[in-house]
Amino acid sequence: MTLQQPALTATAALVRPARRRDRARLFQEIGMLAPAVMLLTIFLVVPFLLSFWTAMTNQPLVPRPTPVRFIGLTNFLRIFKDDLFWTSLWNVSRFTFWVIPVQCGLAFATALLLNQKLPLRNVFRGMFFLPAITSIVVVCVIWGTLFQYPTGPINQVIGFLSGGRIQPIDWLGDPNWAMFSIVLLSAWQAYGFQMIVYLAGLQGIPDELYDAARIDGANAFQRFWHVTMPGLRPTHVFVLVITTIQAFKLYTQVAILTQGGPKSSTETVVHYMVRTGFEEQKLGLASAVSVILFLIVLVIALLQRQLLRRFDV
Amino acid sequence: MSDLAITAMQTELTRERSAIRSLRLVQTACILVIALVIVSPLLMLVVASLKDDRFQILADMGSFRAFWVSNPTLSNFWEVGNFSGELAFGRYLLNSLFILACTVGAGLVVNSMAGFVLAWGSLRGRALVLSLVIALYVIPQESIIMPLVIMVSRAGMTDSFAVQIVPWVASPLYIFLFYQFFAQLPKELFEAAEIDGASVFRIYRSIFLPLSLPALATVSILMGIESWNQYLWPTLVTQTDYARPIAVAIATFFGQDSIYWDRAMAASVLMMLPILALYLAFQRWFVSSFVGSAVKG
Repeated sequence: MTLQQPALTATAALVRPARRRDRARLFQEIGMLAPAVMLLTIFLVVPFLLSFWTAMTNQPLVPRPTPVRFIGLTNFLRIFKDDLFWTSLWNVSRFTFWVIPVQCGLAFATALLLNQKLPLRNVFRGMFFLPAITSIVVVCVIWGTLFQYPTGPINQVIGFLSGGRIQPIDWLGDPNWAMFSIVLLSAWQAYGFQMIVYLAGLQGIPDELYDAARIDGANAFQRFWHVTMPGLRPTHVFVLVITTIQAFKLYTQVAILTQGGPKSSTETVVHYMVRTGFEEQKLGLASAVSVILFLIVLVIALLQRQLLRRFDV
Repeated sequence: MSDLAITAMQTELTRERSAIRSLRLVQTACILVIALVIVSPLLMLVVASLKDDRFQILADMGSFRAFWVSNPTLSNFWEVGNFSGELAFGRYLLNSLFILACTVGAGLVVNSMAGFVLAWGSLRGRALVLSLVIALYVIPQESIIMPLVIMVSRAGMTDSFAVQIVPWVASPLYIFLFYQFFAQLPKELFEAAEIDGASVFRIYRSIFLPLSLPALATVSILMGIESWNQYLWPTLVTQTDYARPIAVAIATFFGQDSIYWDRAMAASVLMMLPILALYLAFQRWFVSSFVGSAVKG
């Protein structure tokens, strides 16, 4: 009993400052977390929630004396009745349909080549990544000149290769070609990212698998088809989803080079949203478009999760 | 083994070797063709920016002269590189650099602190905050931009540097990257420092942060590129030269009836130079940082 007494007080003495220290620690942790939480709340969560509210009002861009009214789903109904919205959705789908094979194909091809033991491959890797660090605005300047009609470089090259049989194409001015031109320059700019992802995927396939296949007598093509492709399945899913999400957010190239034209052939969902909000000054309507855009992105992201789960486990 | 069998094996081997050699040849040819397609537009940009005559630039486009300049001049750069007036690309460039430096600087501090607390803190709601942060990652910038414009104009923040910096400092992606990095460091680091009586902030500041150079580099590069390439947001919130970034300024070339390609090219080269210098200096980080951000899935 007498022996335990000092031991107890010693523990109590230890516990009390420890508790004080715990509280100090708690405050510190809150203090370290607070800036991020506050910024995210103000600049991400609040505008995100507001967009749902604004989407159901007749909010104009410039405040008017008449109060903002709640109008339910009227904005959504109006958008669904607007042909231009469906055109923009169709155009973005067309863009996605073209940009995936071009961009991911280029990325996959370059990754496969860079994964070989070729001379100077680090130099090539550095080179191939250059477009990815080029701002899309600069890309527009470059490709704006390349696409010049009728004597731009691309038309010249095509004329030369075809011996003058193919007439010059008005790449950005012809409704049949404008979106495809946007696809080309977008793929050129952005494929570097997917290339790096593919390279990482390729390096993640163990060498033993290739050796085993070689011993079993598989030729180069069989090794590619039965070892490389299955090994890259999660990578393919990831690349596909990222490219699709990017594609649905297509804006800058179109805003700079074609303004959605000619004949609305390059109108995109984001461009439609910005025009409704800032040129027509109907912010409520534009917010409804942004809600739709979010839902599209959400569905794609959830789809990715499902697909990855199926392949990974 | 008979001689015949050995010769058969040898011919088999040489056949395989020559097959490999021809495969290498095809691969090298492919890589050269792709390199041409990828690099020639950039080369053309640099060459054209050194030509004085904008009509000559377009005339040269169709031939090899697009890649050759006989009498290079920096006059385009002097023309656009002003710090005030009409072609104030010097100013726009500095604006962009300032915005980038502030965004990345503040972003590193804010996001790494949050990531650290989420990984090692003792707060009770940590797991919940973390999953909320991950969920927020799905929201695209484009879909919050409408209400955000109203918010910042109500707050009188438009046409400032702050409006281009503050909203993009905290980001779910970077908080998550830091969290992931800190969480994989050994537990003993934290415990040893704690026993020595170091506070949480002290442990973060003096032990974990110095160890997280790869994460800091990754986030700097990703945030830097993102800030450098911002286009939609600054077009909506800047009206004057005061805080206009170079990306928005270059885009105005396209609004004119006939485009001054010589000036547009020089301004574009100006815009590429800082990021190119960074790229050449940190090439290894650049490439691995993109993988790091991808692996997360």
